[in-house]
Amino acid sequence: MISKLLQKLAFLRLRLSTKLMVTYILLTVVPMSILGYVSYWQYTKSIEEQIGEYMPRFLVQANANIKKHMDELSALPELLFNSESTVAILRRDVYQSRADLNRDQFEMNSFLTRTYLTSGNPDVIGVYLLSKNRVFESSKLSYSGLDWSRAFTYYGQDLKLRSNVKVILPRDIGLRFIDNVPYVMIMKQIEDVDNRKNLGMMFIAVRLNFISSVLRDLENSDQADMWLMTRQGQIIYHSNPAKIGMLDENISRYPILNGSFRTSSDEGQRLVSVNRSQELDWVLVHSVPLKKLTARTDFVRMATIFVFIGLVVVSIIMYSLFSQRVTRPLKRLNRLMKHVEMGKFNVDLKVESKDEIGALAGSFNSMVSTIRELIQKNYHIEIRQKEAELYALQSQINPHFMYNTLETISMAVEEDEKESVVEMVTLLGRMLRFSVNNKSKFVTIAEEVQHVRDYLTIQKFRFEDRLTFSIVNSLPPSAGETLYAAHFLLQPIVENAIKYGLEARKGVNIQITVSQEYSARTGKQDMVFRVRDNGPGITAERLEQLERTMREDAWAGKDASFGLSNVNARIGLLHGGDYGVQLHSIEGVGTEVSVRFPVLDAADVERIEKEGKQHEYNPDINR
Amino acid sequence: MIDLLRLLCSLCMIVIFVSACQPAGNPKFEVVYSMEPSSGTDAAEPPVKSSDHPWTIGIVPKLVEIPYFNLVEQGALEAAESLGAQVIYKGPPIADTTQQIRIIQDFIQEHVDAIAVSAIDPEKLLPTLVQARQAGIKVITWDSDTYREGRDFFVNMVDNEKLGRHLMDTLAWNTGEKGKFAILTGQMKAATLNEWIKWMKVQQKTYYPDMELVEIAATDDDPGKAYEEAKRLLADHPHLAGIIGNSSVGPPAAAQAVKEAGLTGKVKVVGLSMPNSMAPYLQDGSAQVATLWSPKKLGYLTVVLAVQALKGNPPQDGMNVPNFGIVRVAGDVVVMGDPVDFTKENVNQYDF
Repeated sequence: MISKLLQKLAFLRLRLSTKLMVTYILLTVVPMSILGYVSYWQYTKSIEEQIGEYMPRFLVQANANIKKHMDELSALPELLFNSESTVAILRRDVYQSRADLNRDQFEMNSFLTRTYLTSGNPDVIGVYLLSKNRVFESSKLSYSGLDWSRAFTYYGQDLKLRSNVKVILPRDIGLRFIDNVPYVMIMKQIEDVDNRKNLGMMFIAVRLNFISSVLRDLENSDQADMWLMTRQGQIIYHSNPAKIGMLDENISRYPILNGSFRTSSDEGQRLVSVNRSQELDWVLVHSVPLKKLTARTDFVRMATIFVFIGLVVVSIIMYSLFSQRVTRPLKRLNRLMKHVEMGKFNVDLKVESKDEIGALAGSFNSMVSTIRELIQKNYHIEIRQKEAELYALQSQINPHFMYNTLETISMAVEEDEKESVVEMVTLLGRMLRFSVNNKSKFVTIAEEVQHVRDYLTIQKFRFEDRLTFSIVNSLPPSAGETLYAAHFLLQPIVENAIKYGLEARKGVNIQITVSQEYSARTGKQDMVFRVRDNGPGITAERLEQLERTMREDAWAGKDASFGLSNVNARIGLLHGGDYGVQLHSIEGVGTEVSVRFPVLDAADVERIEKEGKQHEYNPDINR
Repeated sequence: MIDLLRLLCSLCMIVIFVSACQPAGNPKFEVVYSMEPSSGTDAAEPPVKSSDHPWTIGIVPKLVEIPYFNLVEQGALEAAESLGAQVIYKGPPIADTTQQIRIIQDFIQEHVDAIAVSAIDPEKLLPTLVQARQAGIKVITWDSDTYREGRDFFVNMVDNEKLGRHLMDTLAWNTGEKGKFAILTGQMKAATLNEWIKWMKVQQKTYYPDMELVEIAATDDDPGKAYEEAKRLLADHPHLAGIIGNSSVGPPAAAQAVKEAGLTGKVKVVGLSMPNSMAPYLQDGSAQVATLWSPKKLGYLTVVLAVQALKGNPPQDGMNVPNFGIVRVAGDVVVMGDPVDFTKENVNQYDF
């Protein structure tokens, strides 16, 4: 029980291919072999039963044939009565002289020869007649072992026998023919039916040819043994001549004398059929080795076993190949998964088949590639974000602007405009402080607006009348301090507006509005910065290009549109694709750039910041 | 791959085990099919009378104490002994129908199983025999028949035509086929005897025109009366060439009369009689041929056939009767065999 349990556990621990194989054997090989064996067994058994059933019937026939022959032979003594003279001789009691006796003997012997040996049944080999102390005899073969003149004591008269025939076996009478010819002796009392007297005893020795021919008709196989024996086991005739006259010691152990049974001995199993003749009290036996009966099936069995083994071997090989086909990709998958676990995403599970395994491999491949892409994307996004931030930081006070501002200040100093100088320096200082102090990505809207106002004011000093601007804040007064925006959103747009506006025109007017608007796209109130200029506008093609650039890749290059793209990208990265920069422009009239982002309070800012930090602290998570 | 090998090996082992696992180790003898009768008793013989009550057969001859019927009795008793049947042999002291009827009545009273009769007068006997049959007794006739409705079958010694013609022949051989002859019969009314006489006449008319039947005299199977009748015939017909004895007492009586009249060799005597009673006359020439069958055999056969019939086997043609031979049957008549002629050469072979 325990061992079974252990085996069961052991089975659970087995490898999949082994399990498949064991299952295959359990499901196919074992049932097939059991089925094959059972059907073979049943078949041989039915053959046995059939032969066991019909052979006794044949034996009944054979026994009847033998009985018929015996009846014919028993009628042979009656031939004596065909001749008046022989009956007269037999009836004669006394003789005048020896010559008379000898004459009668001569006459009788020649009659016997004539009647029984040279005509009639060819199996008769000797006729002996004991009558009133006279012996008449005629025999084909010379014999020994019996002196008839002394046999009177035993056989002279048997009142019980009357008209019945008694069969005497060679062993009982002791008579042996030359060459040990097998025979039986038929003994019959000669009755004078007219005088109702016993005339003597007749013995007819009959060769056993008739039995052998009867048995030969029944079975001519040399493997089967057939014999005829008395109820006591004395073998009268045997298909093996050496056994004639011997004793079958087993007869007392035969379970039945009419039917068939199986015996097993050292020589193997035999099917023995027996039939007992009631009249003669003889037992006819047919014994055949079971092997011979099933010889044909044995060949079929061997062939089947070989074919079966062959099939099993072939199928096992095929099955193992098949299971390998199943398990090998799984093994590879396992190995590749380890690789992936180690962070090597550059893997490809190559499975050509279109089955479930192929589908699995396909899924795995697509999963890995998706992961890889995601990682790459995240990675890129992060880099871009950093880059965008860095650029924003860089651009806040760029060297060019510093140079221009300082130049303007220097000119103001030369012209001795003290107030302007002081204001400019103050503004510049505040801008620098804004930049320096600002470590967060977010600033309050007020600060952002202040910063751009500072920038524009400085630029106004430089360009004087060429630049005019207005900033309209439609937010409630407190909102400027409580709401936040990503930093450095406005300045790049304003920079662009100034740059392109002054390039094409003498003067440029910039209007900035800060407002909350309902957005159809997000379905809520959004913050919107709008920067409107009256510059040259943007041609339709250029506009399209710009929009495409912003949509596709914000970092394509640091060309003129870079500021716009950067703003768009940073909003997108922070708040998703629903937000960003929109361009409206009419060539020759002006351009409106609106920057749209969600309404952010301090809590939102903190949340976004935290997420960003986590990103930075656990850089391995997505890798 | 090693796993696979191991599996294969175990598989082969299983196959070898399975194929080697022939049904072995059973007892040494195992019955496959049996033809023995399921139980010994029900397939046994048809209902036979138990051995303590054997068949009883009453045998009625024409008369008792004449050699012929004594021999029949011997044969009947022999058969009874060998078959284990009981035979009551009873006949009238003289051939008298009334007495025979009384004996049969007695047998009916005794409820014997079968009655075998040698009928003296078939007509008179008939009602009694019919009565016996109605009482459930098997009635057989032997030696001398009655009407068919009076018996189950008739055991005839010889074929009537054959015997009648043969008796005529034996006389014709000895008289040179000419001359007058007389017949000494038993009873004038005995059916079988009259049948023989009919065939003698037919044979004479057909082949022997020179011969002439002058008288038929009845002896009533009485030796004394037969002797007297024979003497009377010799006296009445001085030119008599031969006498045929139609029943067993006739020929000895005729031979004796011929011998005493000094006519030995002149008047030929033939006929039905036992060899023993005829031997002296055959030897001294006062009788020429005696013809007969074995009366013992007749008695034996009658009893055997009676027992067989009681067992439910009516006689059939070709039936083998132990110690007898093959039986010939024509309709309801059993023919025992052919007649045997006794002459002075072979008469000593017979002891009846």
